[in-house]
Amino acid sequence: MANQKHSSVATYIIVALILGVITYIEFAIVEYPQEWLGRNWTLFWLVALSVVKFIMVIMFFMHLKDDDRTYTGFFSSGMFISMATFVALTAMFILPRSVASTRPDNVVAGAASHEVPQDVLDLVETSGLSRSPAAQADSPRPADRSVQITPPLAGNDASSYEVTVPGGAPAQASGEAGASGDATAAAAAGSDQTPNEEQASEQAAGGTTAEAPAATAASWDAEAGASVYTANCVACHQGNGQGIPGAFPPLADHATAVYEAGGREFLMDVVLFGMQGQIQVNGMAYNGLMPAWGHLSDADVANVLNHIVTAWDGPPAGFAPYQADEVAAQRGLGLSAAEVHAMRADLGL
Amino acid sequence: MSAQPAAPAASEQPVPYRATKLPDVKLLMWVFLASDTMFFGSLIGTYLAYKDRSLVGPLPVDVFDIPLTTVSTFVLLMSSFLMVLSLHAIRQNDIPKFRLWTAGVAFFGSIFLGFQVYEFVHFVNAGLSIHQNLFGTTFFILTGTHGVHVTVGVIWLVALIMDSYLRPLGAKDSVYVEIAGLYWHFVDIVWIVIFTVVYLVEFV
Ligand code: HEC
Repeated sequence: MANQKHSSVATYIIVALILGVITYIEFAIVEYPQEWLGRNWTLFWLVALSVVKFIMVIMFFMHLKDDDRTYTGFFSSGMFISMATFVALTAMFILPRSVASTRPDNVVAGAASHEVPQDVLDLVETSGLSRSPAAQADSPRPADRSVQITPPLAGNDASSYEVTVPGGAPAQASGEAGASGDATAAAAAGSDQTPNEEQASEQAAGGTTAEAPAATAASWDAEAGASVYTANCVACHQGNGQGIPGAFPPLADHATAVYEAGGREFLMDVVLFGMQGQIQVNGMAYNGLMPAWGHLSDADVANVLNHIVTAWDGPPAGFAPYQADEVAAQRGLGLSAAEVHAMRADLGL
Repeated sequence: MSAQPAAPAASEQPVPYRATKLPDVKLLMWVFLASDTMFFGSLIGTYLAYKDRSLVGPLPVDVFDIPLTTVSTFVLLMSSFLMVLSLHAIRQNDIPKFRLWTAGVAFFGSIFLGFQVYEFVHFVNAGLSIHQNLFGTTFFILTGTHGVHVTVGVIWLVALIMDSYLRPLGAKDSVYVEIAGLYWHFVDIVWIVIFTVVYLVEFV
């Protein structure tokens, strides 16, 4: 048997007291922040104190201090593996964020880059909602399934979901967006056509947009922009760009105006660094968090910006499309969401 | 075991072919705890990997209540203290004290669970369900799993107390109290980590 020399009750009491005091100190550090300590040292001390507690419980309450070393061996191997798992897991999630921007730009423009779920496809199919003509111009639709859905997508989604923003009231997504105008009308028009007729008529109707890259002197990749938008932005700003009143500001009827108000750089900043703070859009107040999209590639950011500025209200007069290298340069600013909000105020929006 | 006639108290009759000379149940408990660290290690790692990635609120800073959680942390720590007293008592063959302290541990454990239920209800009312955002998902899975561990511990301790009424327990049985204690302390140290890594760092 292992040596049964166990700590006396007095030791237990002292250990318990120390544990209690440490817990109070941890609480006090957080509740009464010590400015002079700085953030990193505060974190260091919090972690150090909890490690001390951890070790004290193991040593004195679980008796590893005096017990057979075999137990320690088993437990430490487990701890070692779990620490390794922990580090690997955390690294796995942190690394892609920093290499994302070095990803080759052309990868994302590929046709199959963003798969659209089957139920969304079906919904679009049955309601006859339009696909972007640009998307169809050069991507064949063998089984009619490999196509990317690109906005405008009216009524977005049959199921209504609730979105809550920090400090904001919950908003019903489906009702609001479904009520919004023109795309729904387009849906009615196309609803009884077969996919092929639909495609043909859309191409006829949307021919100008499909030819846009060729027709405009300075061209941009409308298809790539639309698919970046579909993959990242529709959840909040909605497929038709109308947003959700009170929760997510519209980009249709708005992004072009922001651009024309001198917001060319501001728009890059919003997408790269996010934005937080109260804003006013078309007479309605928003106070949410626009997430930062810095992990998108430079080309993706440029494409999505070209999309939101041109898709709904047409290109602004004398529009020079965003370019990847311009976005790359803007990235260097490294603004905070609050700073972007301040920039917006400077524009007088 | 087939070659050996029934050997009820393994620790009293050393079996020749055993390599470790340690009580099996206790060794097994340590092996289990080692595996459980991997379980919690992954869950905490997942929580951290998704930290600050929620697109919509409520966020941790909106819902956490540090004074409240400090109190429940303290309660759990003190239950660990009672646990060692309970082990000490049974080693002294002092069954009434053993029952008292063990009941104390189970009681403190239940208080901790009560705090957790209160907290969960409060969070859900604040709009943080398990499917609201990444924070909700990872937080509830992590602390929920811990809560299940505490619940199992409370049931185990109550069973030990009941056992002491059904048969004469004494110092010879202390290893069974000891492994229950090991489990309980382990659940406590997991909470020590969660308290710091999940709750406190949020406010630094
Ligand atoms: C999680 C929801 C969400 C997603 C996803 C999202 N946004 Fe936003 N966006 C917001 C909110 C909320 C605001 C308003 C922020 C505020 O109140 O300060 C905003 C604001 C903006 C603005 C500024 C509007 C103005 O008037 O200043 C632009 C531009 C914008 N978003 C573009 C995008 C683009 C492009 C994407 C996709 C890459 C995107 N957003 C994805 C929530 C979102």
